[in-house]
Amino acid sequence: MALIVATLLLFASGPFVLWPLIKTPADEPAPAITEKTENKVSAIVAHEITQRFGSDVALDAVDFALDEGEHLAVLGDNGAGKTTLLRILATAARPTSGQLAIFGLDAVRERKALRAQIGYVAHAPGLYPALSAAENLEFFCSLHDVDRKRVPEALALVGLSDVARRPAGRLSRGEQQRLAIGRAVLHSPRLLVLDEPDASLDSDGPDLLASVMRGRSVVLATHDHALANRLCQRTVMLSNGRSLGAGTRLRVVR
Amino acid sequence: MTRSIAVAYAVARKDLTSEWRTRELVPALGQFVVLALVIANFGFQIDSQNATVIAPGVLWLALVFAGLVAFGRAFAAEREQASLEAMLLTPASAAAIFAGKAIAAALLLIACEAVLLPALALMFGTPFNAELVAAVLIATVGMAALGCLFAAMVARVRSREVLLPLLTLPLWIPFIVAGGQAVQVAMGASGSYNQAVALLIDFDILFVVLTSLAARFVLDD
Amino acid sequence: MTRYTRLVAAAVLLMLVAGALIFFYAPEDFLQKEPQRIFYLHVSAAIAAFACFAVVLGASIAYLRTESLRADRLARAAALVGVVLTTVTLVMGMLYAKPIWGKFWTWDARLTSTLVLWIIYAGYLLLRRLAEPGRQAARFAAVVGIFGFVDVPIVYFSVTWWRTQHPGPVIISDALPPQMLFVFLVTMACTLFLAAVMVAIRYQIETLTDEVPSPVVQLVGTQREPEPAR
Repeated sequence: MALIVATLLLFASGPFVLWPLIKTPADEPAPAITEKTENKVSAIVAHEITQRFGSDVALDAVDFALDEGEHLAVLGDNGAGKTTLLRILATAARPTSGQLAIFGLDAVRERKALRAQIGYVAHAPGLYPALSAAENLEFFCSLHDVDRKRVPEALALVGLSDVARRPAGRLSRGEQQRLAIGRAVLHSPRLLVLDEPDASLDSDGPDLLASVMRGRSVVLATHDHALANRLCQRTVMLSNGRSLGAGTRLRVVR
Repeated sequence: MTRSIAVAYAVARKDLTSEWRTRELVPALGQFVVLALVIANFGFQIDSQNATVIAPGVLWLALVFAGLVAFGRAFAAEREQASLEAMLLTPASAAAIFAGKAIAAALLLIACEAVLLPALALMFGTPFNAELVAAVLIATVGMAALGCLFAAMVARVRSREVLLPLLTLPLWIPFIVAGGQAVQVAMGASGSYNQAVALLIDFDILFVVLTSLAARFVLDD
Repeated sequence: MTRYTRLVAAAVLLMLVAGALIFFYAPEDFLQKEPQRIFYLHVSAAIAAFACFAVVLGASIAYLRTESLRADRLARAAALVGVVLTTVTLVMGMLYAKPIWGKFWTWDARLTSTLVLWIIYAGYLLLRRLAEPGRQAARFAAVVGIFGFVDVPIVYFSVTWWRTQHPGPVIISDALPPQMLFVFLVTMACTLFLAAVMVAIRYQIETLTDEVPSPVVQLVGTQREPEPAR
C-alpha cells in the first residue's frame, strides 16, 4: 500500500520536475518587438507573414500595421487568404514564416498571454447546440476566468437578452452569429478579429458591429466594401495570398 | 493549479450536460454492449461450464469497442473542432481542457459499464462483485486518458475510423492484460487480484501523467 | 551520391561476410541443428530495429523541444527502417519457430511485444501519411513515437507478469558457446551498420522530398496546386 502511495506521489510530481524538459521554443518569452513609427502604441505589426500548406501558398509575405484603437478591413475574394490571415492574427494558427507582433508581444511565443486580450469570431460559430445561449457564455466565462455578471451584459450588447435560455441549436443563424460575437467580447478584449461577421447578420448588423467595435482595435474581413468604408479606417486588399496594398480607405473604382 | 481544476470541471460539466440533454451516446453504447453479449453467447456457445472462462474476454472486447466509440466521439464532430479551437483561444491550458474532456468521456463509458457489467452477470451467470467493478473502473481511467489523446490527434486527420484503433489498441494492451487477469480472479479463477489491480493503478498513473504532458502538443498548434 | 554507393557496397560486403561466418564458421547446434542459424540474423535484426526506434524516440523528443526539421526527418527515416527490420524479425522468427516449436506463433512476452512494436510504428507511418503534412504530421508522429517506445517495455513486462500467472512455452535458453557468440556479435555489428546506412540513405531521400515544394512557389500566383498525397 505504501508502495502504491509512493509511486503515486512520484508520478504526480513528474510534470513539475519535467516541465523544463518539455518547454518548447514556442514557450520562451521573447523580447518585445518594437516598431519604429511615430505612433508608439501599435496594436499589430505584421511583417512578411507567409502561410504554406504543403506546396500550397495561402499567404505570401503579407505586411501591414495597425495602431491601437484603429479598425482594419481585410478585403478580397473567396480564397484570397482572408480567413488564413485572420486565424493567424487570432493566434489560432501559426504562420510558416514571418514576424507578427500584437501589442508588442511575439504572437507565437506569447500566444497564451495574448489570447486573453484577443476576441475572435470565426466563420463557424463553434457554439454548443445543447446548451442555452446564456450557458454557452457562462462556460466561456469559466475558461476566461471572468465574472459571470458579464453574461447578461454581453447578451444585452448583442441583443439576445430575450433568448438567453433558448438552446443555441435552436437559434437562427443571425442569432448564433450574434452569440458568437457576444462570446468574443466577454473578456473585454483589446483586439477583435472578425471573419465576415456581416455574412449572417440582418439589416441592423452594421450598427451592432459598430457598437461592438467601438474603442477596440479591430481586424474585420469582409466582401462588403461599403461596410469596410463605414466601419474601418484602414484596409488591406488580398488576392491569391498576396497583399495588393494596404492603406486608408481603399476605394475600388470599377 | 486551482484554475486548471476549475477549467477541467467546467469542460467536463459542459460535455456531460450536452450529452444529458441530447442523450445520443450512452443509449447507443448500452445497446451495443448488450448486442455484443448476445452475439458472444451464440458465437462461443456459452454454457455453465465455460461461462467464467469466456466472460472476461467478452467483457474486455465489448469494453474496448465501446471505448473506441465513446472516446472517438469526444473530439470527432466538425462542430466540435470549431468549439475546441474556441476553448483553446482562452487562457485555459490545453492540458486542463484535455483533462475535462477525458473525464467526461470516462464518465460516459462508466455509464455504459453500468449496463454492461450487470448484463454480463445476468446473461452469463458469472459472479458480480465489488472486485469486478473496481477493476473495470480503475482500468477505465487510464484507457480514457489514452483513448482521448489519440482521438484528439485523429480527429483532424483523414481515415480517422481506421487510425484510432490502430494507435490506441497497442497502448491499451497492458490494461487489458492486467484488467483481464483481475476480472478473471474476481470471477473465481486462481491468481493474484491485488497484483493485477496494483499494476492497473501504476499504468493509470503513468499514462495519465504522460497524456497530460502530451496534451498541449496534440491540441494546440 | 557516390558516397552513398560506397557505403551501400561496404554494408552489403559486410553482410556477405557475416553470412559466410554464419554458414561456414559457426558450429551446428546440438539440439536444433540447421534451423538454429536463423537466430543470428533474427536477433541482430531485432536489436537493429530497437536501435532504430530508440533513434525515433530521441528525434521525436528533440523535435517537440526544438521544432527542428532535421530531427523530424531523422525520425521519419529511422521509423521506416525500423518497421522494415521488425518485419524481417517477425518473419524470420516465424520461420525459426515452425521447425523448433512446431507452430508459427506463440503468445509469449517477446513475440507479443515485437508484434505490438510493429503495429505501433506501422501506425506511426500511416499517421504521417494521413495527417496534414508539415508541423501537424510531425507533432502527432512525435507524440506517437514517444508513447510507442514507452509502451513496448510495458507490454513486455505485462505479458511476462501474466505468464507468471499462466505459464506457457519456455524459450530456449540463450547460453552460447564462444564460437557462436563470436559469429553473433559480428553479425550484429554488420546488421547495425546496414541499418545505419539505410537510415542515412532514407534521411537523404526525406531531405530531398522536403525541398521539392520550394521551386513550385513561383507558380502559385497563377494557379493553385492541389495538396500532394504523401
